[in-house]
Amino acid sequence: MWFFPHGCKGGCNTANEELFKTLSDAVVSCKKDDVIAAVEKAKGKAPAVELIDNGLAAGMNEVGVLFERGKLFLPHVMMAADAMSAGVEMLQDELGSSGGASSKLGVIVNGTVEGDVHDIGKAIVSTMLQAAGFEVHDIGRDVPVQNFIDKIKETNADMVGLSALMTTTLQGQKEVIELLKENGLRDKVKVMVGGAPATDAWAKKCGADCYAENASEAVAKAKELLL
Amino acid sequence: MATEYFLRMGDGQKIFMTKEDILADIAAGCADAADLGDIPTLSEDEMDHMLDIITAPGRIVGVEPGMEVPVTHDIGAIRIDGDQGNSGVGIPASRLVGSMIHERAFGADTMELGHIDYSFKPVKPVISQEQQTMEVCQQNMVIPMLYGAMPNMGLYYTPDGPFENPGDLMKAFKISEAQESIQKAGDHGIRDMVWIMQKLQKVGSDGVNFDTIGAAGDGDMYASLNAIEALRKEFPGMYINAGMAGELVLGMHGDLEYDGTRLAGLWPHEQVLLAEKAGANTFGPVCNTNTSKTSAWNMGRSVTFTKAAVEASSIPCHADMGMGVGGIPMLETPPIDAVTRASKAIVEIAGVDGI
Repeated sequence: MWFFPHGCKGGCNTANEELFKTLSDAVVSCKKDDVIAAVEKAKGKAPAVELIDNGLAAGMNEVGVLFERGKLFLPHVMMAADAMSAGVEMLQDELGSSGGASSKLGVIVNGTVEGDVHDIGKAIVSTMLQAAGFEVHDIGRDVPVQNFIDKIKETNADMVGLSALMTTTLQGQKEVIELLKENGLRDKVKVMVGGAPATDAWAKKCGADCYAENASEAVAKAKELLL
Repeated sequence: MATEYFLRMGDGQKIFMTKEDILADIAAGCADAADLGDIPTLSEDEMDHMLDIITAPGRIVGVEPGMEVPVTHDIGAIRIDGDQGNSGVGIPASRLVGSMIHERAFGADTMELGHIDYSFKPVKPVISQEQQTMEVCQQNMVIPMLYGAMPNMGLYYTPDGPFENPGDLMKAFKISEAQESIQKAGDHGIRDMVWIMQKLQKVGSDGVNFDTIGAAGDGDMYASLNAIEALRKEFPGMYINAGMAGELVLGMHGDLEYDGTRLAGLWPHEQVLLAEKAGANTFGPVCNTNTSKTSAWNMGRSVTFTKAAVEASSIPCHADMGMGVGGIPMLETPPIDAVTRASKAIVEIAGVDGI
């Protein structure tokens, strides 16, 4: 997955707008073949960075909106992400020659804290973050505090996502934050908390950088903090 | 300076707002529900009534005489014995005593027996104990006593169950494998839920409460609706409540259907029609509380969704109200001011038949 953070680069004339819309629609269709065909057709007609930014990435944003509104579902998000990756791959050569920069959005370690076996919400957040262009290391549920630290060091993570679905395990989020401090990692690693009992107020209290209400918000907050 | 009224954020924090700001938040919450569900928003009169409820001077409010509705308690049997770790009060008491206290002291109109794990799957190895407890409860109590548990399909996936975790498969882009796993878990869940309730019906259970249907997405709802259908067929007089987990059925699989209707993406007014078709007697609409919004916004949203479900339904709707749902703040013990206000609104404006 790739990320291009800027808006309509180079301006959008009518011909380009149509081109971008075709690419965007192909991603929203969640069909890899459609995306490949659209990229094939668009190649060389506008800079690769623009094709990705204003076409493919715009389509992926639309997929995110449709997911939030209950119109597209998790398999569709993954299919769209896979299709977009294929499209970006096809533009790699041109990206190099046009000087376009492409990179992962950031590295995120995601897990449910120790004592809490809930997995599904956290898995959806991991999937959405991955689909949005982050490198996600989902280390599962009921994760011992030290394992978060080890994985953060191993992957050189920029952010850690801490999930808890029970009031009794919420404290585990704070324990991870404390251990981050002890290991001298807190200034380097952003912390996002989530899960049913977590709130904005709790995020402030436990020393996290942000709280996300749902998977879509998790993506938005991660972008806010890391970009 | 305009008078400000006390209300709360969705996380329970106390805040003060003017009437104009509260009304604007009610309207915004209603509009959000109307937009997402493609349903009517509340009328101006209904929003004004909600404003009156929120700004009422008393710490607690109640419905007008004649508007009372039946109330029941999920897992109330262990509410007395359980400690704060599971929303209880930590007074040693058996499940029978807990249920009888709810019947005779707290005025519960119906009750349910629930296992400490409160999911169907873990009941299987202790079914004999559940049967015995149900039988003793039935011998000692008058009000309808159901068995309650969560379908909780999450327990059927690795590492807790036999089927590969669709979350892991999905992240590896193994989409069809993930969908297959969800379908298999659903089919397994149907067998378990039906088997457990067959056993409990034998010892006199009055019925079943499927609690938090859809918590694991559309596979969870697929299993629950098919289990309801099978139970209705086998036990025509059995009482079945279909209570939801949230306002939207998450599409983990995306293509699962019940009776030709895709389950993913259904809102409460659409969910109720399928619950009814499957054979449920009552439906429990749910709207999750957004902790970053005010109780005015959350109540507006919750009542709008619930009202649409009540209007679409021909079976009674018993709204799920409590910690983090129905416009009530997300707190272990939700504050009584917020609980009573949300409850009054859901009865008087949404028109639910029970809570």
